Amino acid sequence: MVKQWFKSGSPWIWMTGGAVSISLISVLGLLAMIAWKGLSFFWPSEVVELELNGSVAKQTVIGEIYDREMVPKSRLEAAGYDLSAFDAEDIERILVKTGNREYVELDFRWVLSTDIMKQSIPAKLAVFERSKNGNFYGYVDHIVENGQVVENQSVDKLHELVERAVDLNDEALDLQNGDIGHINYELERLRLKEKGYELDNALTDERVADLQAQRVALRDEYKVFEKRLFELRNQAKRDQVVVRDMRGELVTLPIYQVLDVWFPNDMGTFAKVVHYLSQLGKFVSDDPREANTEGGVFPAIFGTVFMVMLMAVIVTPFGVVAAIYLHEYAAKNAVTKMIRIAVINLAGVPSIVYGVFGLGFFVYVLGGSLDQLFYPEAAPSPVFGTPGVIWSALTLAILTLPVVIVSTEEGLSRIPSSVRHGSLALGATQAETLWRIIVPMASPAIMTGLILAVARAAGEVAPLMLVGVVKMAPTLPLDGNFPYIHLDRKFMHLGFHIYDVGFQSPNVEAARPLVYATAFLLVSVIIALNITAIGIRNHLREKFRSLEH
Amino acid sequence: MITVAPEVNQANGQMKLDLANLSPEQTALEIKNLDLYYADKQALSNVNMLIPKGQVTAFIGPSGCGKSTLLRCINRMNDLVDTCRIEGEIILHGQNIYDKRVDVAALRRNVGMVFQRPNPFPKSIYENVVYGLRLQGIKDKRKLDEVVEKSLRGAALWDEVKDRLHDSAFGLSGGQQQRLVIARSIAIEPEVLLLDEPTSALDPISTLVIEELINDLKNKYTVVIVTHNMQQAARVSDQTAFMYMGELIEYADTNTLFTTPLKKKTEDYITGRYG
Repeated sequence: MVKQWFKSGSPWIWMTGGAVSISLISVLGLLAMIAWKGLSFFWPSEVVELELNGSVAKQTVIGEIYDREMVPKSRLEAAGYDLSAFDAEDIERILVKTGNREYVELDFRWVLSTDIMKQSIPAKLAVFERSKNGNFYGYVDHIVENGQVVENQSVDKLHELVERAVDLNDEALDLQNGDIGHINYELERLRLKEKGYELDNALTDERVADLQAQRVALRDEYKVFEKRLFELRNQAKRDQVVVRDMRGELVTLPIYQVLDVWFPNDMGTFAKVVHYLSQLGKFVSDDPREANTEGGVFPAIFGTVFMVMLMAVIVTPFGVVAAIYLHEYAAKNAVTKMIRIAVINLAGVPSIVYGVFGLGFFVYVLGGSLDQLFYPEAAPSPVFGTPGVIWSALTLAILTLPVVIVSTEEGLSRIPSSVRHGSLALGATQAETLWRIIVPMASPAIMTGLILAVARAAGEVAPLMLVGVVKMAPTLPLDGNFPYIHLDRKFMHLGFHIYDVGFQSPNVEAARPLVYATAFLLVSVIIALNITAIGIRNHLREKFRSLEH
Repeated sequence: MITVAPEVNQANGQMKLDLANLSPEQTALEIKNLDLYYADKQALSNVNMLIPKGQVTAFIGPSGCGKSTLLRCINRMNDLVDTCRIEGEIILHGQNIYDKRVDVAALRRNVGMVFQRPNPFPKSIYENVVYGLRLQGIKDKRKLDEVVEKSLRGAALWDEVKDRLHDSAFGLSGGQQQRLVIARSIAIEPEVLLLDEPTSALDPISTLVIEELINDLKNKYTVVIVTHNMQQAARVSDQTAFMYMGELIEYADTNTLFTTPLKKKTEDYITGRYG
């Protein structure tokens, strides 16, 4: 009976099907957990007011509930709490994010549920998102506009003032990064030009005067912008809001530090959804603040995508050309076989080894030589002789080269020889056949290689830490200053951002949701890159569908 | 016994040629003392024949007799086989095509070839036909259009595809694809067209269309066809060469070969005693 069952093959079907289910469940479970933990962070959760009395002095705590856990009573008693009035085995304690970082010791605190006398969610509680010191929770007492307490103390007025300050700050930031940044960049270029002339012994009086004139012009321009910048900043500083915090004290918050204000307990579902989406939007489009623990991750998204695309641009031609040589031109002998095996094994080298190679060869040798040859005026500060986005892209390109070579070769070998012969019989040379027929027909396989390469490269962090990734890059590798693409610049990367926020930040508790959110974003970016590549591949496949006999 | 209607060839109203002594004007190709080896194995031994101009010459014989190999020698497709070694000469326009100075690509432009299975390129019908011309660097749109129409008409395909020239060639049926491949070959106006079992992958109706096409083609081109189908050889060819074990056993005009073969092996083959 059992023997019959085994013979029928159904245990195999169950086993194989089970393996597939387990894989599927683990992948979906992983994605679901990251997505849930990361995305729920932006939901405007309600702010509770807790009145405490018991093992602590009578006080009020205002904040968002972050976590709950059960703790054995004995452990709490050992820690010095008097819990003789309760006979439960375990006692619940609650993690509250109280914010107001500059007025309390810690912006997170544990509260024993036994201490809570009264819990309420007052509609008037406001959450202030600030550019410094994190969130502030409290009741709006009054609004000060231009030194005067305003008559109209409505929420709309507060929103209006906050919006005004945000707009002014944005304008000031644009000015600082745009026009003023441009002038600084130009001044630096002038300095390098002068030094360059000096090194060539070509610094004539005429040139000195010319440079000086340009400098004066730039400085004059700078003064205009600087004046405008200070003006904007002063205007932004005009208003304040006075808030009663959980200690019962009045605190004056300058509105120019407030990025957003909302009343979560007073929000309907629709308002919450709108707020959620705007927070999500800010996360993907803003720059990070407060040592990366707050704000957005835009530079990291940009850096990741930019570096991966640069890598793809480098690795594809190299890999394809190498595969063509191996498959079409190289003699079919032991040496070719050895080379092929070596290429495949290259994919098994740990990625950090590539990082070390990249640092030692690309950065120091190649970058150092480039500096000596082309940028002597910048010495002693290096231009290319220091980690940068181009070296990261190159390092990942050699890391993913085997993948591209192997799949391109597979694609080349799948092309029926009848098509090659057809082309040759029409008087085409081997090279013409290759470029007109074979490579286009192998392009879906090339894209498959590229998809695998992109998937591998986008998730790689370890080698990048050696060859170009930084915690905080002040400028993007792409901007409005000539030559627009700055391959020597360092960049931010989502993978490294996760590591940095999760393990290097001063406030791990506050940063944990950001870790999940960033991880989810990284997965999304990789999926988006892959879907793009798969779309292109399917298009090519349709176009070059070879004869299926 | 397979009987072949003698009127098939006589319908063309041609004079019998003396295949052993063709005048140079009548000769398209001369194969002289050709030996071919795959590694150590000899696949062709001492083949000598004259292929007449403007006629259809068929190679027949059992599988592995070397008929396809001989055909592929004529446009040097055997060069693609690493282990292949050739001795002897094939003379086209008074020059040995195996001479070191010969440009293989130019030779193949002059000697086109159609394979067993239709092998259109993954391009549009139009681009398939103009492929050879594009290789030669011809870009003039008018000239290309002209050639496409002429070649497709020449391959009896024009009426079927004239409205979808820019659709993929893979949308055509097997028989149409094979005619497209023939159109592609005649677009570059070769002198000789080699057909390597061109109908073996096709249905009977498509086969018939291609056979009629071959009959039309011989007015302009010298056609050499390999076939394992004796009726086909009898239907389409003017001359037939029977090959066996890498040797040319008998070469005569088709009527004679099928009705009064001189050699015992030929008779055995065409009467179906082996093959």
